[in-house]
Amino acid sequence: MSALRLASSLTRRAPRAFSAGRRGYAEASDKIKLSLVLPHQAIFSSTDVIQVNLPAATGDMGILANHVPSIEALRPGVVEVIDSANTSKKFFVAGGFATVHPNNKLTVNVVEAAPLESFSAEAVRANLQEAQRVANGNGSEEDKLEARIEAEVYEAIQHAL
Amino acid sequence: MLARTAFARVAQPAVARAAPAGARNMATLREIEMRLKSVRNIEKITKSMKLIASTKLNKAQRALQAGKEYGLANSEVFQHAPAENVGKRKLFIVISSDKGMCGGIHSSVSKATRRAFKEQDVDADSPIAVVGDKSKGQLSRTLAENLVITFNQIGRDVPTFADAAGVADLIIKSGVQYDSIAIVYNKFVSAISYESDIVEVETAEALKESPGFKAYEMEEEVTNDLAEFALANAIYAALVEGHACEISARRNAMDNASKNAGDMIANLQLKYNRGRQAAITNELVDIITGASAL
Repeated sequence: MSALRLASSLTRRAPRAFSAGRRGYAEASDKIKLSLVLPHQAIFSSTDVIQVNLPAATGDMGILANHVPSIEALRPGVVEVIDSANTSKKFFVAGGFATVHPNNKLTVNVVEAAPLESFSAEAVRANLQEAQRVANGNGSEEDKLEARIEAEVYEAIQHAL
Repeated sequence: MLARTAFARVAQPAVARAAPAGARNMATLREIEMRLKSVRNIEKITKSMKLIASTKLNKAQRALQAGKEYGLANSEVFQHAPAENVGKRKLFIVISSDKGMCGGIHSSVSKATRRAFKEQDVDADSPIAVVGDKSKGQLSRTLAENLVITFNQIGRDVPTFADAAGVADLIIKSGVQYDSIAIVYNKFVSAISYESDIVEVETAEALKESPGFKAYEMEEEVTNDLAEFALANAIYAALVEGHACEISARRNAMDNASKNAGDMIANLQLKYNRGRQAAITNELVDIITGASAL
């Protein structure tokens, strides 16, 4: 009986899922509210978007609407936002935290972020060399650690470009 | 104070050496002139301070918009995971600044801290961290034993995230023991008003205990990082908001001071002109009576 009901509800739902689905996910037409904020600028504030790809510390992940609540530390990398007009925007972020909340909200707090196209490859290369020089030099342990993190960030930018 | 000294100065010669009326008048005229000059100078200073604050206010308000957004996004997780039965030892982080001339900004947060100590259910020896020399001075009068760490030189310009991270880092490194954190700061209501507010930040332990927090999927070991990052973020939001309040309060205070100086100048000018006229009339009377006596 219940199997029958399931089957009938499936057939009822099926055409709608196909008509709505450019991408074939069950709830793909729903949007998630994204807040991508920096200390000095709010890039997105509670904006409806379709999908957000995050460079989480545990691996890259994509977030759609009605994702399970979760907290992810971000490593330096590219955040890709696919907004409601289905256009993709890429930002390089320097690390922070992304939190998916139970009320279909995604907040991304990062210390620094910029659109990918605003980076200059030459400047990145020069700064990377400088950071590597300090990291391998004979400064204090703290300086070296800072420089190593800096170098990691630059490598991530280079990789993203 | 000023009025009393002026009175004393005027009264003395009148009693001590019975100078002629005209001479006494001249003396007060001179005094009025001097006061007029100093009030004019003060007006110039307050006016330029107001102008400086006005230009800074735009920048501060822009930073406030972004900072507020950042703080809201940051505290979202605390709303979904409220802390439950945490200990009573609360760390108060009081956000003010080093400079005065901005109305009741500093006493507003100091008062809020004292009120929180009285009304909230916290340990009497809860630690306090203060950003800014002014509130430090005010709080060290009543809660001197509770002050554990103080910061200055922050908030001269629009605060940066590095400032906030430095404050959070030093607080965490200082080894102060606490069960929960409350940030006392001034909340920006409008360009002409502000009010003190307290925002709670949860510690990693409180987060782990909270049932709401268990709904989140996450790696266990990032909770500490999250709590530290959230503390820095909350401090940043409070610093920026406090800074905007301070600048707008300074602008208003200097606006009022300039207005008062203007009133005083008008008053003194009137007095001076009257006095001058009286002196001239007196001299004329003297001359005419002298002439008619011949």
